[in-house]
Amino acid sequence: MSKHTKTAAAVAFCSLLLGTGAQAAEEKLYLFNWTEYMDPEIITAFEQKYDVEVVQNYYNSLPEMFAKLNAGGASQYDIIVPSNYYVPRLIKTGLVQKLDHSKIPNLANVKAQFQDPSFDPGSEYSAPYQWGTTGMVYNTETFPDAPNSWSLMFDPKVNPDYPFAIMGDGQVAIGAACGALGKPYDCDTLDSWRDAAKLMIETKSRDNFSGFTDGTPALQQLARGVTHVGMSYNGDYLYFKGEDPEAFEHLAFAIPDEGAEMWVDSMMIPSGAPHPDLAHKFINFILDAKIGAQLSNYNYYASPNAAAEPYLEEALRQPPAQPTDEEMKVLRFTPSLEGEKLQTFQQLWSEVQAR
Amino acid sequence: MRKRTLKRSSLRRALTAFWWLTLIFLYLPLAVVVLFSFNASNSAASMTGLSLRWYHQLLGNEQIMAAFGNTLILALCSSVIALVIGCLIGYGMYRHRHRKLGWLIVLIYLPIVLPDIVFGISEMAFFVQFHRLTGLLQPGLGTMVIAHVTFQIPFVALIVYSRFVGLDPTLFEAAKDLYATPAKRVVHFMLPTIKPALISAFFLSFTLSVDDFVISFFTAGPESATLPIYIWGAIKKGVSPEINAIATLMIGAVAMAAAISLLFNRKRQS
Amino acid sequence: MLQTSQTASRRHAVVSETRHLLFTVTPGAAWIIVFLVLPSVYLMAVAFMTNGPYGLPQLPLSLNSFEQLAGVGFLGWSPGNLYTLLRSLWQTIVATGLVVLVAYPIAYYITTCRARWRPIMLLLVVVPSWTNQVIRTFGWMNLLAPGTPLSNLAEILGLISPNMGLYPSNFAVTLGLVYNFLPFMVLPLYAAFEKLDTAQVEAAQDLYAKPVRAFWNAVFPQTLPGLLAGVVLVAIPAFGMYVIPELLGGGKAMMLGNLVATQFSGGSNWPLGAAGAILMLIATFIGLFAMRRIGKRLGGGEEVVI
Repeated sequence: MSKHTKTAAAVAFCSLLLGTGAQAAEEKLYLFNWTEYMDPEIITAFEQKYDVEVVQNYYNSLPEMFAKLNAGGASQYDIIVPSNYYVPRLIKTGLVQKLDHSKIPNLANVKAQFQDPSFDPGSEYSAPYQWGTTGMVYNTETFPDAPNSWSLMFDPKVNPDYPFAIMGDGQVAIGAACGALGKPYDCDTLDSWRDAAKLMIETKSRDNFSGFTDGTPALQQLARGVTHVGMSYNGDYLYFKGEDPEAFEHLAFAIPDEGAEMWVDSMMIPSGAPHPDLAHKFINFILDAKIGAQLSNYNYYASPNAAAEPYLEEALRQPPAQPTDEEMKVLRFTPSLEGEKLQTFQQLWSEVQAR
Repeated sequence: MRKRTLKRSSLRRALTAFWWLTLIFLYLPLAVVVLFSFNASNSAASMTGLSLRWYHQLLGNEQIMAAFGNTLILALCSSVIALVIGCLIGYGMYRHRHRKLGWLIVLIYLPIVLPDIVFGISEMAFFVQFHRLTGLLQPGLGTMVIAHVTFQIPFVALIVYSRFVGLDPTLFEAAKDLYATPAKRVVHFMLPTIKPALISAFFLSFTLSVDDFVISFFTAGPESATLPIYIWGAIKKGVSPEINAIATLMIGAVAMAAAISLLFNRKRQS
Repeated sequence: MLQTSQTASRRHAVVSETRHLLFTVTPGAAWIIVFLVLPSVYLMAVAFMTNGPYGLPQLPLSLNSFEQLAGVGFLGWSPGNLYTLLRSLWQTIVATGLVVLVAYPIAYYITTCRARWRPIMLLLVVVPSWTNQVIRTFGWMNLLAPGTPLSNLAEILGLISPNMGLYPSNFAVTLGLVYNFLPFMVLPLYAAFEKLDTAQVEAAQDLYAKPVRAFWNAVFPQTLPGLLAGVVLVAIPAFGMYVIPELLGGGKAMMLGNLVATQFSGGSNWPLGAAGAILMLIATFIGLFAMRRIGKRLGGGEEVVI
């Protein structure tokens, strides 16, 4: 008998402990976002306005986000913030649901060029969050006359012995390698991928290649002097520079002449989102003029929100937050891949990783 | 003869030196973590002064506190369940040790020999599929408890089993005469006799749970990050000195556990 | 009359014994079957499915994932996965060898110390492994990063290129593995040394003039079961290691565990990951089986089964 009661007691005890979290009646919004990408005050404001709790989870790269959604996340998160080239993939796999535009009146605030993006015609599934660029960050003390080129990473003659890191997202890394070979960033033919992958494998075997690093941690490595060149995002660069001006004094952000990535991050609602209504409210909240501006002023990314324009700080109107016209000419979207092309790319990339 | 002792003592001296070097090797990484947790600046390369600022930040960080809570709940729940189930199986193995229980032994060793990564990924893939089909077992603390119990059961069972094996079999006969019902035997005889085994099995389960990262990582849900998962995320995102502070607290807990086990040992010896 | 009641009561005893066995063993056995055997079987099944366009398993059944694991893809054969496999093997062998070299003298030294110190010394060796693996590895990241004293020393000695740290590198992974698994080797070796038959050793010392020969003939064979147990405890988890190469290798030192994990956590190819897991399982069981066979031949069978 005592063993029965003991088992029963243990079960009761555990369900009590496990249950307390789940039974708290307050509604929750599960936000799955990039690291360092949200002003905590905006979260507080949203929580107060709707009397809910926001639970935040973070990812460092899109493959990581996509894998989590596949592994059950699609029914656990209410909002995700993928970049343009993952949007079609998410729609095709059925991991996201259509937006109900009637619940998001603030969609009207979105700038015309973001209203009908090529990756999601008619914004059926996605609403823009922020946009920015992925460039090269390097140490100006180490490289006083650095060429404005990806060769700072990929050419052993230009950078024979200072450690550098390359972005962990295969498509962005291969894009940069394409750039280093003099091809456009958005190269997507098999031949150019092959050449880029070859270059990548050679680069990887160099002594001063320090590893694959995602955008945000790459900046930390640069700031601590672990690496001297890396790849990161313009807004993150500005944000951390503001946090720690001393460490970033000799770090510069550049869009290499050969071309680089421009991206739009969009808010989407996973297909099995537990609180889709609240998710719509959240999207609408972010697209508010003042909140949109607050977001950009916090994380230094350009805003896709036309109504937010008047409230934006000066730093957001100049490079690197707002690329120059020259730079705009060489900036490209990362191609969205699907079907056999995606599989081919993934095989190439896993070959690069495994070597 | 003299020569030999001389040689021996020089060998011994070399061994002693090697012993201390190994100790340095074992404790240096932990010492660095502890040292830098008191660093005044956010630098991983140099100490600029002593301060407690990272500990203050820690207390204010809700996520870390939640992760701490999750770690404790997970370790406690899984250890309790594993203790009950493992204890039963350990006793069953002892009582029926004359039967052919080869399949049971294989089953019990399986969680021990399976590589962590295969363990974690199987569970993840299984839970995802199971959830898709039934809507139950959504990744979260529940699935983590299940996974942890799975790798704790064998250790509990083996500890309890070996305790029973070490007992004098006539004790069981005596207990049968003394207490009329099986329930009474369990309460007044069995549980008290295997108490030391139960205690050490519980602590081992608890430690295994807190120590696990890979299996937790693959079975966790949005709200169930444990301290190791949080630390992993922080490392991946770029090192924050807070990690040193959390890690130091965890190292402190381990040091305390070590001290307790030492005292326990001493007491038993004397 | 008496006999029938005896057989009846015996039958009754057998039934109640069986019921007892079922009552005690079922919960645990069922738990492991439902939550480990079934998931593993499911994972194995995944390996025989086709990779869907976005990395999830699909029907029809195929052996594609195994071909991919062997390096056959859309672009012909490529050696990447083979490199990874060989690297895992190499790292495992080197790390296990180094662990033996360190653990053997340490275990011996502990047995030569006074009895009251031994538990404390063992505890000192084991305690670091009670801390979390991620934390231990993080400690090494701190120690080996560029600009740290150890890295500077290595640079002065010309062991690494200028400006680079000791981490990330293959060397850092080896070091991390040795650090992580040292206690698993010391414990079984210590147990073996403690049981050492000293009379035999002394006889050998008189017999052979050279202590080296005495060691190989009298001491080493006696510690072999402990050594083998240690090798099993170290080599199997080292071969499937995920955390250490991920944190200390920096993308240059991918091992099989990482190859498997990225197929799931990088979202690219579940069937390929599952095929890798099967390979890991096969290696594990071959390792266990071989050790058991050798252990049995040496007559120390019991201990070798962990």
